[in-house]
Amino acid sequence: MKSKKIIALALACMMTVGAFAGCAKKKSDSVVDWTMIAFMAGKELNEGNEIQEEIAKKTGVRVKESWNTAQDVASAVGTMIASNDLPDLIDGGNGSKMLAEAGMLVAWDDYLKKDEFKNLKEMFSDKQWELFRQADGHIYWANVFGKTYGEPKSRTHNDEAFWVQVRVLEWANYPIIETLDEYFDLLQKYAEANPKNADGVDVIPYTALCEGWRYFCVENAPQFLDGYPNDGSVLVNLDDPDNPKIEDYNVTPTAHMYFKKLNEVYNAGIMDQEFATMDYDTYIAKLASGAVLGMCDQNWDFAQINNTFIDKGFDKLGYNYIPLGLVAEKGQTKNQWHAYADVPNVSSGVAVTTKCKDPDKAFKFLNQCLDQEIHDLRFWGIKDVDYKVGDDGLYYRTEEMRKNWQNDAFRAKHVCNYSYLPQWGGTHRDGKNAMKPEDQESEFFATLSEPLKKAFEKYNYTSYGDFLRSEHITKLGFWYPMYSHSNDMNSTTDYGAAWVRMGECKHEWLPKVITSKDFETDWAAYQKAYADCKPELFLAEMQKELDRRAALGK
Amino acid sequence: MSLIENDAPALKSKTTKADIKRQSILLIIAGLYVIYGIVFYYLPLLGWIMAFQNYKPRDGLFGSEFVGLKWFKFLFEDKTFLRVLRNTLAMGVINLVATTITAIGFAILLSEVRNVLGKKIVQTISYLPHFLSWIVVTSIVRDAFATKGMINELLLNLHIIKTPISYFMETKYFWPIVAISNVWKETGWNAIIYLATITAIDPSLYEAAAMDGAGRWQKIKNITLPGIRSTIIILLIMNIGNVINAGFEIQYLLGLGVLLPVSQTIDIYVLNYGMSNFSLGTAAGIFKTFVSMILIFTFNYIAKKTGDERLF
Repeated sequence: MKSKKIIALALACMMTVGAFAGCAKKKSDSVVDWTMIAFMAGKELNEGNEIQEEIAKKTGVRVKESWNTAQDVASAVGTMIASNDLPDLIDGGNGSKMLAEAGMLVAWDDYLKKDEFKNLKEMFSDKQWELFRQADGHIYWANVFGKTYGEPKSRTHNDEAFWVQVRVLEWANYPIIETLDEYFDLLQKYAEANPKNADGVDVIPYTALCEGWRYFCVENAPQFLDGYPNDGSVLVNLDDPDNPKIEDYNVTPTAHMYFKKLNEVYNAGIMDQEFATMDYDTYIAKLASGAVLGMCDQNWDFAQINNTFIDKGFDKLGYNYIPLGLVAEKGQTKNQWHAYADVPNVSSGVAVTTKCKDPDKAFKFLNQCLDQEIHDLRFWGIKDVDYKVGDDGLYYRTEEMRKNWQNDAFRAKHVCNYSYLPQWGGTHRDGKNAMKPEDQESEFFATLSEPLKKAFEKYNYTSYGDFLRSEHITKLGFWYPMYSHSNDMNSTTDYGAAWVRMGECKHEWLPKVITSKDFETDWAAYQKAYADCKPELFLAEMQKELDRRAALGK
Repeated sequence: MSLIENDAPALKSKTTKADIKRQSILLIIAGLYVIYGIVFYYLPLLGWIMAFQNYKPRDGLFGSEFVGLKWFKFLFEDKTFLRVLRNTLAMGVINLVATTITAIGFAILLSEVRNVLGKKIVQTISYLPHFLSWIVVTSIVRDAFATKGMINELLLNLHIIKTPISYFMETKYFWPIVAISNVWKETGWNAIIYLATITAIDPSLYEAAAMDGAGRWQKIKNITLPGIRSTIIILLIMNIGNVINAGFEIQYLLGLGVLLPVSQTIDIYVLNYGMSNFSLGTAAGIFKTFVSMILIFTFNYIAKKTGDERLF
């Protein structure tokens, strides 16, 4: 009995000490510590991260980022609202509108009018800023991605594609893959010839994630196959350019063809037999093991595995992925997998919450993030430590610097991107360099693994976008992307309830039709269940929003 | 009042000032508990108003627009909700029956073990899983039932099946998997209370039965089971209110994709809908409370009618 008491006492002491330890750390008075949450998978930085400290010295702000990988972002945000537990800065994702409606975000309007916040103002045109305006007449956030400063320099493809490991292309002698049939045929043949990886892992020719909001991996390919850009929840038919029309990609012949193909490859054992019950972590683990030859996904959703590949030496084996822009019919030129224009997603972005004690300072900090000096620190690092400047003024890295920046452990203690704070792509303000190293020509090619380099040479491509063979459309409709309207719908409205039910219906039925033994019957049942969700209510609302935006853009 | 007092003067003694003074400390302590109950159990019920409103956090509880029974109507017209209700009740009942029977069986088996050390070891090991969080148990279950997991390996090696079964790709396996996981996790823990009751049964009854020539089985049937009968009933009444809490974590973590139609419970529904639409979530929560109360009262009433132990 006595020993139990002693143990209990010891435990109590340890906990008290633990609780106080958090308070004991001394930090300089001039720097404020803020928190930020983004609903994405990310890596947390080490305490005292070197570039973070450097930025703190210059701006007086240190932001502790946390990453929340909730299955359902709106629920997670709802929980935050209900408990009134918010960080200082937030990217509320699909829950952004809820936060604004709950009165928990600070309006940007006054700041955007002032000259000292001109970096923020510069992010979008006046018309574009109007798209961010909410029903109550205020602007509460700004999306930080997809913005080009000056000349476009992008060499990456951050968006959706059918991906294939570069070793598969090499094995088949770098063919041009256009259709689903060719794609799955290639995966199957490769897997038959190479059933196991060098380390004995069985290859999985194709997999598809269908967990939570990430089920776009299985769900939205029909829009791309038909040559439309990623409006996300609907198609915008431009047959009559003055009268854009909303259409539903879930019921098109291409949707039928695509899911029938998936059904065929599933039953042939080419598709991962457990795809429908994978959660995101399992999916990423599968990709990181190098076993998966191909999948359909957004690059940002799985890009984190690239550093793992380097760690394990998989990049040298050609496990890295190449994006393919597949189309419904061979020879189809209508193809917008890769967007050559900027795409502001107005439904979410970085926001300052009412929890932040000093919003003036917060906006000043966001503005400073776009100062060239801070921007360079975030993405290029410290001069002569992380990059060098050549005689021609061009930034470059040595082999060692590159290795460091690809190493997760090094990044955690040294690199601080603040990747969900305002940022630019495109050309540096000096007119020579790229805003981000991955867009700098020399750096881009120097960081490619050998098999990737070979593929770029063989195809004679200079950017990932080239692989998608998309049309060079540099000006998209002003309404684009329409998903920024559907993203934050919920069951409080009729059309929102229809949208939620359509989502549930697809979550349930898509895996069912893919794994079906009698595809046509199940497909008909699915289409009927889908029609019961009253998609027409949702589509009518989307048409209304499309008309509103089209009028705004005129 | 006076009538009653006249009828039973000896039973009803008047509370005097002296009594109050003497028990003042006790009254204060009791009062604190009453306040605690009001603050933490009854005041939050004010939030139920949300179910009858179009609740907006900015407008608050008293500023939001009233919409009557709109959300309850929404619930009962919603196919998903009806299915969710079915799943919850089905899994709740299966879990309750499975865990109760295994716990009683396990307790009786364990009580028959004569080797004290062996008994202690088995008991400790068997209740440890109770302390694992569901997220850990879920990973174990996921691995065990995977296509290349240990269950498939076992069945293959025993030549019971020829090809591995994808347990998570077919809806019919899901409820049994949840039940098995619950049994695995809770049997040892639930058995503790039955074991304690069995220990409290007068040993002379067993001795007397042995003299009359009763065997082990007869002793279990005629002494042990009747001896723990009242405990079983009390626990059943208490747990029946929990039928509607069929679970959240295991269904949320394991029931993805094709399994959604059989895996979603009311709690998951409330999370999915209620956290972006507080009014609807509250309506679902109120409904859940009423179902729980009806179940408890009904079962309690039946217990009362059959002359058994009851809760109130």
